[in-house]
Amino acid sequence: MKKKLAKLLCPLLSASMVFSAAAVVQAEESATADPADYQVVMVVKQSDSWFDDMETGVEQLKKDTGLNVSVQVPETGDAASQISIMEDLIAQGVNAICVVPNDPEALVPTIEKARGAGIVVVTHEAPGIADSVDLDVEAFINEEFGKLFGEKLATAMGGEGQYAGFVGGLTMETHMAWYTAAVDYISENYPDMECVTEEPYEDGNSIDGAHDKTLELLNAYPDIKGLFDCSAHGGGICEALMEKDMTDSVSVVSLALPSMSAVYLEDGSMSAGLAWRPADAGYATCYAAYLLASGQAVETGTDLKVTGYESVNVEGGIAYGNAPLEFTADNISDYNF
Amino acid sequence: MKKLQIDRFQKVLILIIVLYSIFVTIKNPSFFQIATLFDIIRTSSTTMIVAIGLLVVMLSGGIDVSFMSIALFGSYTAINLMISAGINNIFFAFGVSAAIGAVLGLINALLINWLKLPPFIITLGTQNLFHGVMTTFIGDKSFGAGVLPRCLSGFGRSSILNIGGSKLTASVIPVILVGILTWFILYRTMTGRGIVAIGNNEESARRAGFSPFRIRLFVYAYSGILAGIMGMLYVCQTNALYPNKLVGDELTVVAAVVIGGAKITGGMGKILGAVLGVAIIYLLNTTLIMIGLSSSWNDLFVGTILVISVAVTSYQERVRNRNHLIFTE
Repeated sequence: MKKKLAKLLCPLLSASMVFSAAAVVQAEESATADPADYQVVMVVKQSDSWFDDMETGVEQLKKDTGLNVSVQVPETGDAASQISIMEDLIAQGVNAICVVPNDPEALVPTIEKARGAGIVVVTHEAPGIADSVDLDVEAFINEEFGKLFGEKLATAMGGEGQYAGFVGGLTMETHMAWYTAAVDYISENYPDMECVTEEPYEDGNSIDGAHDKTLELLNAYPDIKGLFDCSAHGGGICEALMEKDMTDSVSVVSLALPSMSAVYLEDGSMSAGLAWRPADAGYATCYAAYLLASGQAVETGTDLKVTGYESVNVEGGIAYGNAPLEFTADNISDYNF
Repeated sequence: MKKLQIDRFQKVLILIIVLYSIFVTIKNPSFFQIATLFDIIRTSSTTMIVAIGLLVVMLSGGIDVSFMSIALFGSYTAINLMISAGINNIFFAFGVSAAIGAVLGLINALLINWLKLPPFIITLGTQNLFHGVMTTFIGDKSFGAGVLPRCLSGFGRSSILNIGGSKLTASVIPVILVGILTWFILYRTMTGRGIVAIGNNEESARRAGFSPFRIRLFVYAYSGILAGIMGMLYVCQTNALYPNKLVGDELTVVAAVVIGGAKITGGMGKILGAVLGVAIIYLLNTTLIMIGLSSSWNDLFVGTILVISVAVTSYQERVRNRNHLIFTE
């Protein structure tokens, strides 16, 4: 995907320098503000390979457009450290802040402060607070992605048996939206499947959290046949199943990163992995922030210049792309984030 | 000194464990099986090691809140080294991580001795310092199961005992070794006696011929070594390496050691107490699903037990003081 994009962009950029062949591109660029004049900073959730990949996307955007864009990584994955980074950025007077909130509601006062100071704020993975920001960028409609979890799990389990789901934390809005959509989808379409809990388990966004909870679950519900994890730590579930020699009897579907989950997909302990490309999401979010900061609009049909976001669908302050990724043992090796 | 002395306080802890286990078993009979015990041993093994290290520091009247940072620094650096040099040896992994831990522990001790500031402030500072040095100069990338040296997950998954399909993890070996070694140091060497002595009263210990500086060097280096071992064990178990895990979990370990009856001002505390403290926290933590409660209950339980145990420790001390006709209030 990335290569295709690079192939498209390279000739465009070089051509624009020569200015004979690329009159169209030039006209466009002169009509808009120079990206190099705008400072956009992206605040991610924490340091892990997911956000490492997002950073590569943001760096790619910098290379492609010359936009003055950078990434800030909080030391710990909580709202407090994101707030303190944002306070610093407000003091510096950047043009736009992009943030992937750990706890969206907790960031609202800081977001309002930033906007009061004339800074454009664009979020990713936070549709619930879309009213408080300039724009929220989503890779897809969360309900649709959640249904995919349900569909993959049902297929892996043969449509029957007990199952349970994990989220990173109960306050994590997108995880909860996927979880709810997955459970609703299953209860509508697979009457023989039974969710053993009222609310999802929290893995605390860590492999050992998922691992320890799984061990406990297997003792509490020995007949369980399927588990899904809306945070990218399903590897912990697979590790626990391997220890108990139960990889054949329990199916796992998880949000997945190729770098962290390839092993589990390849050895069969994870049936399916779901994701979207963090690099593309970071690219699109920062590009949307630049468009807004330079006075241009993001509306239905706007091209955010990256695969899956070529024509976003804007509704209620949220720009939806169409970029879900499904991993199986066969295609996992094609990705390297 | 009698062997395996179980004092009244530890009996209370054991009683809590037994009563709570009976309660959970009534709520959910599937709790009562050997697999549950093995699972709790497996999940608590890493914390056990650092809790014992912290106990030694607290016995000497100090405190260390940098050990998780040291654990991460040691394991992250050692594994980075192993990946780039293509080394796949479990003893090398633990050895390098422990050695780095020892160096960082020594830095703690030297700073405390040089700046004459409370150990809490120093180690709070070095916690951030070590983590910052690691993420800035060594790396901040995450490594997944496919990239890590094979020997790590091999050790993490291996077991030493198999009862009807329930396996006891090999991770219990380092825990037991650390327990025995620490017991030997504390009760069979002059250094160990010195640790307790300076924890009770540094001036008296100095006059009795102990060197507080040398003992402090040993204590923080030892805590660092155990932290290094713990960090590597953690990676073996999770089979993934993140640059931001562990750090931030220090206070749970402090809580466990305090629940186990160690006095925050030093001089008092038992290895068995620390082990029981960790066991209680993990027992509470890993039975919430069994009794159908959400994880927010965990904090409530741990907090309650922490307050009760601190109250009991201080009450016992007051009673003992009165018996010895010491009136402090």
